[in-house]
Amino acid sequence: MRQVELHHGAATDVGLVREVNEDAVLAAPPVFVVADGMGGHEGGDVASAIVVEEFAAMAEGGYDPARATEVVARTLEACRDRIEAYAEQQRAAGVGPFHAGTTAVVALVAEHEGQPAWLLANMGDSRAYRLHGGRLHQVSVDHSVVQELVETGVITADAAAVHPERHVITRALGGTERSEADYFLLPLGSVERLVLCSDGISGMIDDEEMQGILDSVPDPRDAADALVAAALEAGGRDNATVVVVDVVGSAETSYDAERQRLSLQQKLGALP
Amino acid sequence: MTDAVPTPRTYLPGEWYAVLGPSLVLALPPDRRDLAAAAWAAVDAGAGAEELLDLVLASGLRDLAGLALVSTDGDRTRVLVRGQAVCLLVAGGEETVADGRGLTTWAEVGVDGVEAVSLELGPGSGGEPLLAGDALVRASRVLWPAESVPGPASGPAAPPSYAAGRLPGSTDPASEPSSLLSSPAPAVAVAAGSAPAPEPVLDPDPEPEPDTIDQAVPSVDDPVIAPVDEPGDRDEDALETAPFAGMPAAPAVPPVPEPWTPPAPSAPEPWSPGADDHDGRTQDGSWDVSEFQRRPHGIPGQPEGPSVTSRPVAVLQLSSGDSVEVDRVVILGRAPEARRFSATEQPRLVTVPSPQQEISSTHLEVRPGTGADHGSAVVTDLGSTNGTVLVQPGLPAESLKPGIPVQLLPGAVIDLGDGLSITVARP
Repeated sequence: MRQVELHHGAATDVGLVREVNEDAVLAAPPVFVVADGMGGHEGGDVASAIVVEEFAAMAEGGYDPARATEVVARTLEACRDRIEAYAEQQRAAGVGPFHAGTTAVVALVAEHEGQPAWLLANMGDSRAYRLHGGRLHQVSVDHSVVQELVETGVITADAAAVHPERHVITRALGGTERSEADYFLLPLGSVERLVLCSDGISGMIDDEEMQGILDSVPDPRDAADALVAAALEAGGRDNATVVVVDVVGSAETSYDAERQRLSLQQKLGALP
Repeated sequence: MTDAVPTPRTYLPGEWYAVLGPSLVLALPPDRRDLAAAAWAAVDAGAGAEELLDLVLASGLRDLAGLALVSTDGDRTRVLVRGQAVCLLVAGGEETVADGRGLTTWAEVGVDGVEAVSLELGPGSGGEPLLAGDALVRASRVLWPAESVPGPASGPAAPPSYAAGRLPGSTDPASEPSSLLSSPAPAVAVAAGSAPAPEPVLDPDPEPEPDTIDQAVPSVDDPVIAPVDEPGDRDEDALETAPFAGMPAAPAVPPVPEPWTPPAPSAPEPWSPGADDHDGRTQDGSWDVSEFQRRPHGIPGQPEGPSVTSRPVAVLQLSSGDSVEVDRVVILGRAPEARRFSATEQPRLVTVPSPQQEISSTHLEVRPGTGADHGSAVVTDLGSTNGTVLVQPGLPAESLKPGIPVQLLPGAVIDLGDGLSITVARP
């Protein structure tokens, strides 16, 4: 498979209301993750951090792009096991009715029938969007109560945006339910710009505003910052996290992508 | 006794019927829908507590497994509970409980100067606290004033940091703002300053944690409850204190008779920012997750079967030269993509040439059939721009209707346009 050159930017902010940032983000090209943790007693930030750790290890260790779906499914399974083990441990320590869970939206470059493609996976209401031809499209489908209501025709999409239960999610990593992720496979060429975000972004600014930013800010790092700034501007009621990835081309070597990866590792200091 | 302004109360959805009237709440068990309807009609027509009690008891106690009647007359709040119902009254920081459980008849209490009432009725059906004016609702719990869904600072130990929020013109010593307003000080000051119409304070609520709620109201066991900040209860009979979070301090003697705008159902956004918090509301909450299990993907209306089969049910011979086995979902198009599949059922994406771009990027799907179609392949146009024509052996050509699967016979020819056709062959 050809090398795919990606440029990316990531930004996260605790927001204006929360005290803890329970979101976690991974940008380890060609693997990108946003996770939005939930649960009190630090359950949320631990759960989302576990997801990032597992996918960071996966990216570091390398994966077979032709079997990316399997690899992601396995990694999600590992995340879930660790989150449950952690919750179990907390309960055993007497923390009470402890639970920890997290959403996850994952994007990575895969190979399908010999062609590079984006493989996306999501659980919960963290979203994947793509920008193509200046138009923003939501790719992932939320696993949320309101989304189910929209799909069954009970309420309209507009009503969903203000529905009181719009933040109740129906699938997550962690907890007793072993729900499955949804997967999406998109030809690489059908995505000029890929966006992963937590509901602290998508719940604060509408698609039109998001499209305006993504279509007008060329550098993905600036675009990520601008999206978070817009979410804060709109009230910042939740942790706001976003990754913006541009496919800039396919090449044999990818100097910029490699440099960015090294730089990220230095910043994080977490990767061996 | 009371003006026409409905009294907002908060309730949690449940099985009991609760008749919410201007100065009373009547709750009846789930099996007494008839009685609830009659009681609501009476309340709506202006009946008071006495008349209501007569109505409810007219058919005797034997068939009335439970009952709760909370009525307010002046400063006095009277509670009558029977069966499962338990009522908690807060007055001057003291709690009084009326418990109907285990009694032959009922329990009755009367308390003066009640500031907040919590009526526990039975198992909840889950869901958010909702606001209601005068109404007939199905509830597991009713609380008022509406603010008494306790906020994070509703405990007695809360710091008196918002004493400044007290209305300067307040004449009622009992209306000490209780120092419990959880909204940011400036917002409170604004609300307090505009005395005639204290609007709901909808500023961001600092992180009300579900745990705090549990502490504040011991009987709450539903993890999905979020605090609701709503406009103050201005019913004349309700007390003026703001014992709980988010309630704007209000003058005990309103300077004008209509100082407050009721939170009509048409209120555009009655949910406080606090309700935006989805922490703690995981799938383990009150929703039955089984309702939301994966639905059949791909073709609506078609039963989901094994979308990956051990042996191909057909082979697609493309006029471009490729051939593709149908042992799973096959999606064909100019640049096809697969949406919402599970890890074990990854479709095969087949890119076909379309020099004139007449073929849609995701044009059609062929998958192993299920049910009556078992053992054969079915084709579905996925909403392509230019459509798909199917010619089955011995049948006239038909245009595929988007989203409608059609069983394929060996020898069928699918025409996608742009000079590309697919011949269906036996495996």
